[in-house]
Amino acid sequence: MQPMIQARTLAKRFGEVVAVRNISVSVMPGSVYALLGPNGAGKSTTINMLTTLLKPDQGSITINGHDVERESDLVRRVIGVTFQDLVLDRDLTGREALDFAGRLYNIEASKRRARITDLVEMVGLGDAIDRMTGTYSGGMRRRLELARCLMMEPKVLFLDEPTQGLDPQHRALIWDYIRMLKTQQGMTVLLTTHGMDEAEALADVVGIIDHGKMMHEGTPSALIGQLGSDLIRLSGTFTHLHTPEWTSEQWVTSWQASETEIRIGVDIGARRITQVIEFVNQSGNTIEEVSITRPSLGDVFLQATGRALRDER
Amino acid sequence: MYTATHTIWLRHMRKFFRNREELGGLIIQPILWVALFGIGMGRMLPGDGDYVSFMLPGILALTALGSATGGGMMFLDERLRGILREYQVAPIPRMSILLGHILATVSKSFFQIFIVLSVAFVAGARISGDIGNLAMSVVALILFAVGFASIALAVAMRSKSIMGYHGMIFLFNLPMLFASNALYPLENVPTWMRWLAMFNPATWYIEVARPAFAVHTPIMSSLIALTLLCAFVAWSIQIALSRFRAMTS
Ligand SMILES: Nc1ncnc2c1ncn2[C@@H]1O[C@H](COP(=O)(O)OP(=O)(O)OP(=O)(O)O)[C@@H](O)[C@H]1O
Ligand SMILES: [Mg+2]
Repeated sequence: MQPMIQARTLAKRFGEVVAVRNISVSVMPGSVYALLGPNGAGKSTTINMLTTLLKPDQGSITINGHDVERESDLVRRVIGVTFQDLVLDRDLTGREALDFAGRLYNIEASKRRARITDLVEMVGLGDAIDRMTGTYSGGMRRRLELARCLMMEPKVLFLDEPTQGLDPQHRALIWDYIRMLKTQQGMTVLLTTHGMDEAEALADVVGIIDHGKMMHEGTPSALIGQLGSDLIRLSGTFTHLHTPEWTSEQWVTSWQASETEIRIGVDIGARRITQVIEFVNQSGNTIEEVSITRPSLGDVFLQATGRALRDER
Repeated sequence: MYTATHTIWLRHMRKFFRNREELGGLIIQPILWVALFGIGMGRMLPGDGDYVSFMLPGILALTALGSATGGGMMFLDERLRGILREYQVAPIPRMSILLGHILATVSKSFFQIFIVLSVAFVAGARISGDIGNLAMSVVALILFAVGFASIALAVAMRSKSIMGYHGMIFLFNLPMLFASNALYPLENVPTWMRWLAMFNPATWYIEVARPAFAVHTPIMSSLIALTLLCAFVAWSIQIALSRFRAMTS
């Protein structure tokens, strides 16, 4: 099967700032891909290049088998895009915003009406659809945006931080829509986020990017699996520490230590913890806290970049 | 192409008639222009002609320039806020996005021009030319308005901020009118200024438009002036379009 989105070695710089360097992304039809990364990682820049808004300095992109640069019209016909900063016109009602979107795509009036009714139902905007969008809450705006980019029944959705600034209920709501679009309509979705829970909840494949580089890519479970099934964390003062011999043994999947924190990925945390604590204590360090957790994508990110990906919510 | 242009135009018009502030400003502005330029400044000019009629084409040009500035502003606002991207990702010709904005600007401009004319006629302006003059005058005004609407858009495509935009626009807005025969006859100005005026789209427009309203001493053939105006429009749309295409890089 041919990938729906295929981007090869994309690069983009803005003057001195290299926003994206050598990113390749491949998304199969009907799957959800999440670009996960901190602020300034290059997520929006990548989306802008994929959606014909920005010309890459290097690399090539095909969507639905069409080249984004040479056949941009064919590409634009199949993509729906929502932007990170919402683009709603405050002086239009929600219904008008949807109607104008439909007109741009040459959808005839009766079809537009029917489509608006369906979408308003789907995103639950109800009577608010006839209010000026300037009066909408953040959650309503995100929902209207999603409805807007669905007006022309796209094959591929690009959602730049679709849940930014939303409360947990609204986040769950948007997640439900995205899952529904994937399972019921077979849509291909590429979204960006800095919430690892979001990537874990939605994505078939996650690409972790930082400083414009792809650090890790894979299914969430495979990425997390690389770290072992349990993660032992120790915090305290670890100034007299050398890497123990047993890190090369099979039950250790990862080892990462700083002067204040040690993280060890292991097969079964409860069984290995005594050995770990013994070792650390022997070398004359002070342990303050110990915990055993299941690793998350956040830990994968930390492992890859050496710094924590703060979930901003 | 047509549908997309119409959609973008319609969207602007819908917002325009909904925005009381903008609407009110646009209605009052032309009345002030006629009063200040036509009646006030007219008194200062030598001779005993019909000043309001003499000034009328210039005031219409000023109105068109004002609308063009507003149109560029609207585009810049959409660009900076990101509304423009909704059009940019749609499968529509880039030209239609441009034309939608230009037509919206020119429509607003003619809405104002209609008010200017009404006020001017109340203030005593008269049509002295024949129907041919009048038709030429309308064509010239449309060309002038389209040309400057495009130029304002071209400026708005590059500006980093609203302040920067106004700084740029100011450079060619009023100075251009003053360096033409729009507001006063060119008989008494220095030669260099007369030469400057010859290369000024405002002068070309006046050459074609004024005979419909007042006695006019031509400084070039109105056919040449009309041709120059057409070339100016083609050039300005081209500039705007190529800048628009370059916005993705
Ligand atoms: N138009 C631009 N001009 C100059 N620099 C830019 C431009 N757009 C992005 N950048 C820079 O490129 C880098 C990547 O930005 P980008 O918006 O792609 O990040 P992001 O991952 O979307 O971040 P966020 O999570 O904050 O949205 C940043 O350093 C940013 O400052
Ligand atoms: Mg972003």
